[in-house]
Amino acid sequence: MFGYMGKILRANLTDQKITEEPLEEDTARKFIGGMGLGAKILFDELKPGIDPLGPRNKLIIAPGVLAGLPFPHKFSMIAKSPLTDIYGEATAAGFFAQELKFAGFDAIIIEGKAEKPVYLWIHDGEAEIRDASHLWGKATREVQRLVREEVKDDRAQVGCIGLAGENLVRFASVLFGFNHAAGRTGLGAVMGSKNLKAIAVRGTLKVKLADEEKVLDICKNSLINKEALKGPYWPNILTKFGSLVDLGSWQETGRLPTMNWRKCTFKGANNLTAENLTATILKRINTCPYCPVACNRVLKAHYPYDVDPDYGGLEYECTAALGSLCMVDNLVGVAKAFELCNKYGMDAMTTGVTIAFAMECYEKGLLTSKDTEGLDLTWGNHKSLVQVAEKIAMREGVGDLLAEGVKRASKKIGHSAEEFAMHVKGLEFPLHDVRGMKAHGLGIATSNRGACHLVVECDDTFMAAGAVPEIGLDERIVSKSPVYVGPEKAKLAKICGDLFALFDSLVVCKWTVYPCGGYKVETIKNVVSAATGWDVTIDELMKTGERIFNICRAFNVREGITRKDDTLPKRFAEPLPEGQYQGETFTPKVLEKMLNWFYEFRGWDKKTGIPTREKLEELDLGYVAKELESLGKLPTTHKRPKK
Amino acid sequence: MSKLNLVIKMQKYVVCNPEKCLGCQICEFACSAVKEGSFDPSLSRIRVVNFEPAGSMAIACLLCDDPPCVAVCPTKALFKGENGVIQVDEGRCNGCKWCFEACKFGAITWIPTRKTVAICDLCDGHPECIELCPFEGALTFLTLEEAAHISRREAIIKLFGK
Repeated sequence: MFGYMGKILRANLTDQKITEEPLEEDTARKFIGGMGLGAKILFDELKPGIDPLGPRNKLIIAPGVLAGLPFPHKFSMIAKSPLTDIYGEATAAGFFAQELKFAGFDAIIIEGKAEKPVYLWIHDGEAEIRDASHLWGKATREVQRLVREEVKDDRAQVGCIGLAGENLVRFASVLFGFNHAAGRTGLGAVMGSKNLKAIAVRGTLKVKLADEEKVLDICKNSLINKEALKGPYWPNILTKFGSLVDLGSWQETGRLPTMNWRKCTFKGANNLTAENLTATILKRINTCPYCPVACNRVLKAHYPYDVDPDYGGLEYECTAALGSLCMVDNLVGVAKAFELCNKYGMDAMTTGVTIAFAMECYEKGLLTSKDTEGLDLTWGNHKSLVQVAEKIAMREGVGDLLAEGVKRASKKIGHSAEEFAMHVKGLEFPLHDVRGMKAHGLGIATSNRGACHLVVECDDTFMAAGAVPEIGLDERIVSKSPVYVGPEKAKLAKICGDLFALFDSLVVCKWTVYPCGGYKVETIKNVVSAATGWDVTIDELMKTGERIFNICRAFNVREGITRKDDTLPKRFAEPLPEGQYQGETFTPKVLEKMLNWFYEFRGWDKKTGIPTREKLEELDLGYVAKELESLGKLPTTHKRPKK
Repeated sequence: MSKLNLVIKMQKYVVCNPEKCLGCQICEFACSAVKEGSFDPSLSRIRVVNFEPAGSMAIACLLCDDPPCVAVCPTKALFKGENGVIQVDEGRCNGCKWCFEACKFGAITWIPTRKTVAICDLCDGHPECIELCPFEGALTFLTLEEAAHISRREAIIKLFGK
């Protein structure tokens, strides 16, 4: 097999046993890697209803076929999420993926629970479980340095949890290398529940490629032509400003999530722009392996907080979450809260949305200063923002409640707090106002992770990027206004959902490729073909994406998800208060209409939102259909049985 | 004597500016691809060192005037060519790796498949690493004088603004 190492490493922390098993070429071709491979393993190996923080949960780390090539790539972490109790997944970047491939493995499966803190050390075909008691309690970057010293290799790549993961904060993250976080859905808590403090990898083996010359040619030419930077939406701007540049445009078009989505423009937005960041606290920029885009930022500040450059800096989602969403206009305050999120290993997006929720509770008297032990959670108080973030990581005081995430916290608080707990399926809402982006909103309502913005790119982006008829996105579909409601939007959501499921399995960085970046889907196909020797067509790749989307859905269905869970927070039924899209809403009625179209395009049962047997069999997932049927979850057909 | 000085003056080096290098390792890809026909960072003659958060830097052979690697080689496999580049007679290399010890910059690479060392040879005047480096000013091909001039100019700009 080319492009893959053909091996999966399995580490059982209960038995302290490490084994190897083959990755079959058929599986690799059907599920690619990353998200797809992880979803398949989760579906095959987990029984429904297990406790995500218990020993029966499995944590999978999987790069894809692009790792090991000099092409921008990421990797995926997958497990049942302790935040949402459904499919959990996060992608991260950095050299970890390449080192894992070069160490000889296409994926790691971690199961069971260690008696005492441990870390995994994987290198050139070998793996060992090592004692990590001396690392427990330490901050993320410190752990990475200590582990690199211990394994005596500067190029060893380390992923680890911080105090938040150890304290089982439900949205704890895993930090890899220099500030690449597997942030969302609480995978850090899964590691913490297994007493797994870190994973270190280093490899010098070679990935066999089918046509190495062709792969190198494509990679070289794409660099010389600056292909990644030729995206229509942000040519070169990401390099100059990072993704924070988004904040300015959302403010301009009246879709900047502010005050827990009660407002859509923020008076203090000028302090939070990429321009201000660049002018005041930017230390330097950074990039991912083999990537010319360089969207990473490194910050340094001293007043009013000391911001440690060791914990990197601000991109859009986190800045909006900790900034405008909480009405905080102090950029250094936002940077400090972000630093704590990385230091303690907590998803910064979720932390911000949770704090905004807490601020609204405080405003409405649902949380009093007695509950917060004197912390003044008034909107915009950046001192409290920083202090609460720390309390969440420590599970101290009100932090213990908030560490549960907004779904559980709002249930505990009661008194209509659930009305403004902004989440879907338990995952906190991303920093987008879907009243102004209908296909994007549908994507969030139906994403397999819960409220995820990385399943259907924003409507505006498609308008700028233009049509790609080879994948079914013709001019008619991509050119509709962001607030237009019609079946075209549902079709867009379906096709993009498949495309991005494919991307999350390869694992492609979405900044570099259509619709945001310049790499064409065709280029990706060519690299995959040349690396693997498979004569893939774009059709086959899109079908693979569809298969992956469906097996994730099937996993969720098995955990109890149906149409009733494909929702959007109530708040979006209220009209946008100002700006370019003033008056726009995303009501349950509109969502119902869009779901009907969406399920039809997806070939799912309209009543339940569950994939039909026909659809699953069409995608070579017949065994998945059988499994769902045995649990009574497969939708029955409406045909009357023959007499 | 003055002719030799001129050669040294006109010699170009692969110079990495650690303030502009982002540690992407594309230079390692470029080198191993063009020299070994394969993507394999361990075969690259230019190597990146990451020392985040301060930065990163790529190091290739610095073309020492009095190369310690040449001096210690027991089989005389290494010699300084006319263009200043350290050349490797792969047939003579016996893999003792004494040159590794001698080089204070870790600029020598071991090629296991040919059982020889490899050293940056500036790709006949058109370094591939510089060709593919996406970040302006991170990797440049300059003479000593050109490199110093740029540093002086940037220092002045930092002190007095544009």
